[in-house]
Amino acid sequence: MTAAALAQNPPKPILQLVGVRKTFGDFAAVERIDLDIRDGEFLTIVGPSGSGKTTLLRMLAGMEAPSDGEISLKGIRINDMPPSQRPTCLVFQSLALFPHKTVGENIEFPLKVKGVAPAARKQRALELLRLVRLPETHYGKNVMKCSGGERQRVALARALAYDPEVLFFDEPLSALDYKLRKVMEKELKDLHRESGKTFIYITHSLEEAMVMSDRIGVMQSGRLVQVGTPEEIYTRPSTKFVSEFMGEVNVFDAAHENGVWRIDGVEGPANLALPTAMTSAQKAAVVVRPEFMRFVDAPGGADNCLKGVVFNQYSLGSRIQYQVRVAEKTFLLELSRANARKAEGDEALIGWDARDAIVVEA
Amino acid sequence: MNQSVRRSNAFIWTWTIFVLVLVYLPIACGALAGLSKSRYFGFPVAAWSTDWWSRAIDSFEVQQIVKTSVAIALIVTVVAVIVAFFGALAFARYDWKGRRLYQKLVLLPIFFPQPVLGLALLLWMNAVGIQPTWQTAIFAHLVWIVPVVTLVIAIQVYGFDPTLEEAAADLGAGRLFVLREITLPILWPGVWSGALFAFLLSWGNFPLSLYTTGADSTVPEWLYAKMVAGYTPMVPAIGTMSTLAAATLLLTGGLILALLRWRAGKVAA
Repeated sequence: MTAAALAQNPPKPILQLVGVRKTFGDFAAVERIDLDIRDGEFLTIVGPSGSGKTTLLRMLAGMEAPSDGEISLKGIRINDMPPSQRPTCLVFQSLALFPHKTVGENIEFPLKVKGVAPAARKQRALELLRLVRLPETHYGKNVMKCSGGERQRVALARALAYDPEVLFFDEPLSALDYKLRKVMEKELKDLHRESGKTFIYITHSLEEAMVMSDRIGVMQSGRLVQVGTPEEIYTRPSTKFVSEFMGEVNVFDAAHENGVWRIDGVEGPANLALPTAMTSAQKAAVVVRPEFMRFVDAPGGADNCLKGVVFNQYSLGSRIQYQVRVAEKTFLLELSRANARKAEGDEALIGWDARDAIVVEA
Repeated sequence: MNQSVRRSNAFIWTWTIFVLVLVYLPIACGALAGLSKSRYFGFPVAAWSTDWWSRAIDSFEVQQIVKTSVAIALIVTVVAVIVAFFGALAFARYDWKGRRLYQKLVLLPIFFPQPVLGLALLLWMNAVGIQPTWQTAIFAHLVWIVPVVTLVIAIQVYGFDPTLEEAAADLGAGRLFVLREITLPILWPGVWSGALFAFLLSWGNFPLSLYTTGADSTVPEWLYAKMVAGYTPMVPAIGTMSTLAAATLLLTGGLILALLRWRAGKVAA
């Protein structure tokens, strides 16, 4: 199907959330979430700790019951269906591998539950070992003697052995070191494509979400503030929170006075140039990514120019990051080494173009 | 080797030998008393004999009390392990309202002086009109042993990751299947230790049995009675046998635990 056809006729939702809420006493961990999860997609829910993403996942997996609202799977309400009855499977943050069982016995567990004969179980386990790129010799290995990456793969194989419609992931990669995590992220994406199943992943790392997901949902204090493709989330964050969650960005409040936009707390530019003409609003938050900011030689070198002092510079390897102080505000610039021609303490004129700024809800 | 290290090594050796002698000398004395020919113990042993051992083994009376003691200990073990297993889950696995109070209440009987507990149980039985026999002693033992076994198993349960049960259920397993395949196998070492504790504590218990067996008699009671009146070297002989049997049981238990651990840790690669 082409992208246009997809937009016209989106795949049917496999999971549907309508007004889902979860309260613990007076505290609302999840606040009225409406979300359609499409069959076969890789959806990642990101949010800082305490944003309710784990609670949301546990409701989807059946380990918590929603206080309100409705969760349906393929059109059937599953609010009160216990996890053992749901055709879904969760890969835990701790992985929850059975320590007294071998790799093979772990993978075969869901098949043993279903009463599959031992020979058929073993055959399937070996297939799954291949699928998750583990050697067949690991079949009889003690699961506690496996390395971190191997355990991830065993947990994944065990979940796939259950043959669920939807797989949930509760930050299973968080315990791995950076390099291995990068490898596993890509493998998980490959596995998603190969298995054709719906993957729902939660993490606090937007970077991780960007790499793997078809769509990302950003959560903030129990609410789903934006859902979109990684591209949309990156280029068109809907709120200040989402843009800040994306990594280090320049965010400042702007006010509309006498037909001119000004940055709060900063003298000039005389009229802040925004990407879209905004005449109705009185206040807005403006987001400019550090890589879209640059040093300019003279006023007018960019749509918006500000005068400040360089007070910190950090090497990021191929790029250099500057902190430039303008009045009381600090701006971040990220430049390639070729354009990095300022030192700490230098006066600097920084600028950005209107089209590179994003206006979000204040 | 460094001199101070050598000195501290020598100290460790001296100390451990001292402790072992302190603990085992009385037991050795008992063992020797049962193996000497004379009726009253003297040191050095003038004449050796296994006579008291064979007399003890052949004695119908001794066979009866051993049977009673074993019966009590076995039943206490089975009941205590079942009650304490689920008690320990409530103690350490689940978070529920009143758990802290339960944790304190369940351990309280351990600190209650046993002779007083025994007397209290006897008075209570009299009050409700129960004739004390070896069966009532089972109940008395349980009152004291269940808390101990609960504590022993709870220690194992504290190390148990509840998400394993969640994961198993999520993979389609029902409650019983989870208990059989996940919870029990992981908690086995604790259950075994608990069972050993239950058996040995019941086997060696005197103060509770004294008050609650009525006309029946257990091994510790019989030993005590013989020491008070009508001492024969059968007393130390039986004492030694009992110690050896307990040691064998502990060793077997240790072996089984080691075997379980080895099986869990086996690498088929």
